Amino acid sequence: MTAVEWQIVGFTVWVAALSMATVLPFGLALAWALARGNWPGKSLVETIITLPLVMPPVAVGLILLQVFGRRGAVGGFLHDRLNLDIIFTWRAVLLALSVMSAPLLIRSARVAFEAVDPRLEQIARTLGAGGWRVFFTITVPLAARGIVGGMLLAFARALGEFGATVMVAGYLPGKTATISLAIYENVQLGQDAHAFRLLGVSVALAFAAVWCSELFLRRNKTRT
Amino acid sequence: MSLRLKNISLPLADFTLEVDVEMRGPVTAVFGPSGSGKTSLLDLIAGLRAAHSAFIQLNETVLADTARNISLPTRRRGIGYVPQDLALFPHLSVRQNLLYGRNSRVADQLFAFGHVTEVLEIQPLIARGVRELSGGEKQRVAIARALLASPRLLLLDEPLASLDAALKEKIIPYLARVRNEFRIPMLCVTHDRFEALALADEIVVLVNGQVMQTGPVAEVFARPANAEVARFVGVETLQPGRITGVHDGLAAVSIHHVTLTALAPAAPASAVFVCIRGEDVVLQRDTAVSSVRNRLPARIISLRPEGALVRVELDAGFPLFALVTRPACDELELHEGEIITALIKTPAIHLVPR
Amino acid sequence: MNNLFFKVVTAAAGLLSLRPAHSAEITVFAASSLTDSLRRVAAVYEKASGDKIVFNFGASSTLARQIEAGAPADIFFSADEAQMGTLAKQGLIDPATRRDRLGNSLVVVVSRDSVLQIKSPDDLTNVVVKRIALADPRAVPAGVYARAWLEKMRLWPAIQPRVIPTENVRAALAAVASGNVDAGVVYKTDAAISPKVKIAYEVAQPDGPDIRYPMALVRGAPQSETAKKFLNYLSAKEAGQVFARYGFLLR
Repeated sequence: MTAVEWQIVGFTVWVAALSMATVLPFGLALAWALARGNWPGKSLVETIITLPLVMPPVAVGLILLQVFGRRGAVGGFLHDRLNLDIIFTWRAVLLALSVMSAPLLIRSARVAFEAVDPRLEQIARTLGAGGWRVFFTITVPLAARGIVGGMLLAFARALGEFGATVMVAGYLPGKTATISLAIYENVQLGQDAHAFRLLGVSVALAFAAVWCSELFLRRNKTRT
Repeated sequence: MSLRLKNISLPLADFTLEVDVEMRGPVTAVFGPSGSGKTSLLDLIAGLRAAHSAFIQLNETVLADTARNISLPTRRRGIGYVPQDLALFPHLSVRQNLLYGRNSRVADQLFAFGHVTEVLEIQPLIARGVRELSGGEKQRVAIARALLASPRLLLLDEPLASLDAALKEKIIPYLARVRNEFRIPMLCVTHDRFEALALADEIVVLVNGQVMQTGPVAEVFARPANAEVARFVGVETLQPGRITGVHDGLAAVSIHHVTLTALAPAAPASAVFVCIRGEDVVLQRDTAVSSVRNRLPARIISLRPEGALVRVELDAGFPLFALVTRPACDELELHEGEIITALIKTPAIHLVPR
Repeated sequence: MNNLFFKVVTAAAGLLSLRPAHSAEITVFAASSLTDSLRRVAAVYEKASGDKIVFNFGASSTLARQIEAGAPADIFFSADEAQMGTLAKQGLIDPATRRDRLGNSLVVVVSRDSVLQIKSPDDLTNVVVKRIALADPRAVPAGVYARAWLEKMRLWPAIQPRVIPTENVRAALAAVASGNVDAGVVYKTDAAISPKVKIAYEVAQPDGPDIRYPMALVRGAPQSETAKKFLNYLSAKEAGQVFARYGFLLR
């Protein structure tokens, strides 16, 4: 493995981990609202969350391009007011990985939250605990296994993300080159050795992440 | 204390819970058959459920008033709750469970940690994990946890339901201790008449979401307002008595000058309620030899037909009620004023410590 | 494996297609910059001959890789000599049929509503020009040409960090049109296609690289006789007029 290849691997792992951190607070909140609440528009939100799992990734990437491009609703604001570009930077990679892997985290966390007996949360409230305290001392610890399992699954997905990433980030060596983009690029250029080495790393990482994820998710089921 | 529940209207699966009572305690039993809305009522008081319409006031504080859109959030109501499944936090140790609701300001704590754990005898359990506890131990920990949060009112949902008979007898003294030592008003939900009798000072009879009768326990039991209450309460004879001696598992109980033989209760007591169900009293004309220990000569005071049965009021040295069938009544040619023998089997006499 | 895959796909496609026995289908792999002009030429030819032309447009480098892997192309129309040469070296094309057909020139384009002024190549190094889209300068002909020009102008080291490489020249054009980059270097013929961009600077012939579009018959082509007929038509005057209309230089 060359230094460039290690940089690509390091960058991919780093951005995938960062996307986990980004998705976690928002994803947990949404998962909890879906698990416990019954509010208007809930079915719609459930469906939208599942879309990145079933739509073609390039289609999702196209949507992101429209919204976060310099002329888009969000991207335009960021570019004009804050002089901040998303498309064609590492931030676009973060965006693509987050959007594509969030559904896996949200779905697993939701199942984990649903498995927590609501009675326990209610009793905690009678003991004087406010909403946040109940959430962090009762709900999350009891749902922890499922949440971590979901995070690992999402991490694995983020590592392998391609379609949306190629749309919004492009292949900028050293700046947005992820493992999957680099494999594609190397095949295009006929540099098969590079491609196969990166392929090997990709398989190893995915295997490890999914294996650990199954460990957490499996034991969660038997416990309840 | 004063717990006012007014204009409560909460639609449930098969009926609407409609309640309008004032409870004074110190221990109130909400009594009724399973599914009559008792747990929903507790949830309402604790703020875990919202009703169509409700006015709930505890002493000076209005907990909920739908008319004025007031509803105090659960965590501010200061109401301890011991649910039927106890709901101990499985991922925390006993100590962490106990301290969960503890106010950090010592001045606001009503009861000392040591005091509560001592009264409920759970000190040796503190370091253990929740999963290692037995049923009775979990019960006491759950009660202690609620107490340590300094509640103004303690709600208990069927506190004895999941325990076997021996354990029930053991827990009742603890609850009595809680009442006496801590002087916390308690609201117990139960479907067991003897539990209600043992624990409560006043009783609210709830059937199918409607309050049938309220009042001091002994009174409601002795004088049910209507046939439905009578059916659920079902103790025709309820008299205060005194255990004068215990021998070989049998107790001699005296009511006025009459002595009965009953099964000795597990916990020693002297002042008791003597409960005899009407259907357990057999009327006999001749004095044949039988296995029954309690043979009381009694005068028939009145006969009152109730459907297929006849309610016979007797004076056996104390007021005694028997339920016999009409044909039996005709066959025996029972008349008011007559003397007849009343037979009561020893196990049919329930003694509830006063 | 690739060979087998393409053969299976072609066989399936052949089985599934419904055509009268005497007409043939020719597969042409061509540089993406030829998209509009070649389609127009082919339309005319199809009406006259009854043959059907199927296109695969893309970066010439990508197309060359595909032909190497055994893709069933009849004709290869590349945007530079390098890619054609790679195939020639491997004996994948029929050298007798190879000829340079077209030329082109480079332009710097900006978005239609851009206020950027590029009066000389040096203006590209202006700090305002933060991102410049090029077809991947490592392999795609348009990008290779652009790099050659910038190196000649001694501007490449300053420009390189701002380059956003795209998959082919049309993707670079799209990036400029979307507004996500500040400028792009594409063929003059591409700039004419998109109404959403305008030319900011034209690279004069002596400054620019020598752009050549060679075409050739792929060896072992499934439809070689029919393909040769189309190849000859591409060299003819009628086709040349169409190319010229789109802005290509004729050789």
